[in-house]
Amino acid sequence: MGVDQSNQNFEHPLFEYMEKMPGLDLAMTTADKILSWGSRNSMFVFPMATSCCGIEFMAAACGRFDLDRIGTIARGTPRQCDVMVIAGTITVKMAPRVKKLWDMMPEPKWAIAMGSCAISGDFYRDIYSVVPGVDTFMPVDVYVPGCPPNPDHLLEGFRRLQDKIKAKRAGEWVEPETRPVSGMQMPSVPRYGTDRDPAYDQAQLMATQNMGLGGELLAAGVTLPQPAPQPVQSGEGGDS
Amino acid sequence: MSLHATPHPKDTVKWTTVGGVRVPVHLLIPNLPDPFMDIEDYEPDADLMVLNMGPQHPSTHGVLRVKLVLDGEVCVKVTPYLGYLHRGVEKLCEKLSYVQITPIVDKNDYVSPMMNELAINMAFEKLIGAEVPRRARYIRTICAEIQRLGSHLLWLGTFGLDMGGAIGGGGSIFMHTFRERELLLDLFEDLTGCRFHYNTHTVGGNRHDIPAGWAAKATQVLAVISKRCIEYEDFVRGNKVFQARTVGVGIIDPVLAIDLGISGPVLRASGVDVDLRRDQPYAAYDEIAVNVATDPGGDCFSRYVVRVDEMRESIRIATELLAGVPEGPICSLKPVKLPGAVKAKHGQGVYSSIESPRGELGTFVVGNTVRRQSAIPYRCKIRSPSMHLLQLLPYICPGNNISDIIVTLGSLDPIMGEVDR
Repeated sequence: MGVDQSNQNFEHPLFEYMEKMPGLDLAMTTADKILSWGSRNSMFVFPMATSCCGIEFMAAACGRFDLDRIGTIARGTPRQCDVMVIAGTITVKMAPRVKKLWDMMPEPKWAIAMGSCAISGDFYRDIYSVVPGVDTFMPVDVYVPGCPPNPDHLLEGFRRLQDKIKAKRAGEWVEPETRPVSGMQMPSVPRYGTDRDPAYDQAQLMATQNMGLGGELLAAGVTLPQPAPQPVQSGEGGDS
Repeated sequence: MSLHATPHPKDTVKWTTVGGVRVPVHLLIPNLPDPFMDIEDYEPDADLMVLNMGPQHPSTHGVLRVKLVLDGEVCVKVTPYLGYLHRGVEKLCEKLSYVQITPIVDKNDYVSPMMNELAINMAFEKLIGAEVPRRARYIRTICAEIQRLGSHLLWLGTFGLDMGGAIGGGGSIFMHTFRERELLLDLFEDLTGCRFHYNTHTVGGNRHDIPAGWAAKATQVLAVISKRCIEYEDFVRGNKVFQARTVGVGIIDPVLAIDLGISGPVLRASGVDVDLRRDQPYAAYDEIAVNVATDPGGDCFSRYVVRVDEMRESIRIATELLAGVPEGPICSLKPVKLPGAVKAKHGQGVYSSIESPRGELGTFVVGNTVRRQSAIPYRCKIRSPSMHLLQLLPYICPGNNISDIIVTLGSLDPIMGEVDR
C-alpha cells in the first residue's frame, strides 16, 4: 500500500498497523490486521428485536445516540449481517426461529444479548413459555444488562464487542463473558447535552435504595452478602 | 391551505344510525370478505402462492406472523398467527402481590408503559377501595397525555418506515419523530429516574413527586413539539406519495369494527365518536374538557389525521393541567415497603378501563378470599386493544396489494407485547 509522505500528519486508524519503510513510499501490514480493522468498524447489525429493547435499539439508531457513527448499520436480513442484537424476550415459540436466523448469518458473526430478558429471562424466567436466557441455545459474546438498557449502554456494549473482535482476530485468548451478577442497578447517569441537577440523582438513588428491606440496610451502611457470579458456558464466541 | 385539504371533506359525508351508533354511510361495506374462506373455493385455475410474513420482519412491529395467500400481487386470504411473545403475564399476576405487579405490566404495551400502570392500578384501587389524592390524579393525567404523545410520535415514525423503508423518504419522518420523543423521555427520566419502564404508579397514588422546575420544563418541551407538529403536517399530509399510499387503503367498516371490539383511534377514524376520557372520565379528566378527534374517512389516511389531532389535543391537555397542579399528598396510603402491604378484603371482581393510545385498555381483577393470600389477586385479566386490532386483518386486507397490507398493518399500530401478553 502506498503512503504519501508529504502528508505525515494524516491520522488514520489504519496507520498504526503499518510499518513504514525508510526511503520508500510504502508501508506494510498484515491482511489480518486490515480485516480486523474492517470488521470492527463496519458492523452490520441484525436487530432481533422482539419487544421493549427493540424500541431502545431504534432510539439508539436515531439522531441523538447515532449508532451509525461507530460504523454500524441495521439490515433487515441476516444474510448481510455480522452482529445479531437479541433485544427482547425470547419465547419457546420464537427460539427456533432465532436459532435459524443465527445459523443463516455468515461467519464470522457475533451476538449481543441486550436487556435482562435476553440475558436470563428476567422475571419471566420461571414462566412456561419463556427461554431463560438466549445463551441456553446459542453463543453470546457481549451481555448488555438493563431493563431496557439505555442507548448509551448499548453503545458501550458495541465498544466491548469491538475490543473482543480485535483481540480474537489477533489470536489472543479472550475470556468468555458470563452473565452479569444480578443486583440493583444504579439509576441512569446524566447524558450528553442535559444539564441535570445533581440533587435529582441523589434523590433518585435514595428512592431506589429505600424500596425494600435490603435498601434500608444498605442506607444504614450494612454490607449485604453479594451472590457469587455463576459462570455460564456460553460457548465459543462465534468465530471458527 | 389547499395543500392540506383532506380527501374526505366532513361536510359532504352522509350519516346513518346502526344499532344506536352514528356511522358514515359510505363506510358500510355490503359484502365483507369471508376470513374463514376455504382457498379451494377461490378459483380453480388461479395460481395461488402462500407467503409467510414474519415472525421476524421489519414491518410487523415485533413478532407477528402473517400468512398471506396471494393471487399474483393481490392478497386473497390473510391469517395472523400470534403467540411469539407470550410471556404469561396474567399467570405471573396470580403469583405476585399488588405492589409487585406494576413493574410487570409495564412491559405489556412497551410504547406507552405508564398507561399499563395506570390501568392496572385503577383496577386495584377500585378493588381495595383506595382513594387517589387530587395531586396524584393530576400527575397521572399529565403523564398519560405525554405518554400518548410519545406513543403517537413513535407510530408516526414507524408508519413512515413502513411506507418508505429506511433508505427511501420514510426514514426522514422517523428521525424527526424520534428526536422529539427523546425530549419526552428526558422529562420522564427527570420525574422517575428511568427512560422507559417507570414503576411510578402505585396503589393509592404515585411514587414520585414532580421535582422543582419540572412543570416549566415540560411546558417548554410541549410548546416545542407543538411547533414540530406543524412541521409534520407540512411534511406528510400534503405529500402526494403519502396520499397515494394511504387514501382509500384498508377501509374499516365501523359496524364490523364495533362487532370485533375495536376502540381508540382506529374506531374514531371510522367516524364513531367514542372516547373513554370524555365518556367515562377517570383520573383528572373530569376537570378538563377533552375534544375528541374523529374522521369519517375510515382509511389509513384518516387514522393518520386522527392521531395527529390527538397529539395536538394531548399537548393542550397536558399544558393546561401543568399550569394548575394542586398542592397536597401524592399517595393516600403510607409508603409501601413490603410487597404484602396492600391487601384486598373481598373476592369480588372489578373492571376498570382507560383510553390508551391504542384504545380501551381494561383490567379485570378478582381479589383472593384466602386470608393468607389477600395481598395477591386471584385472577387478573388484561383486555388489550391491540389484540382486537389484529382481528381486523382477515377482513380488511383481502383484495389489496401486498404492499398495502404493510401500510394497513402499520396504520393499526398493534404492539405485540400487548397482544400476546
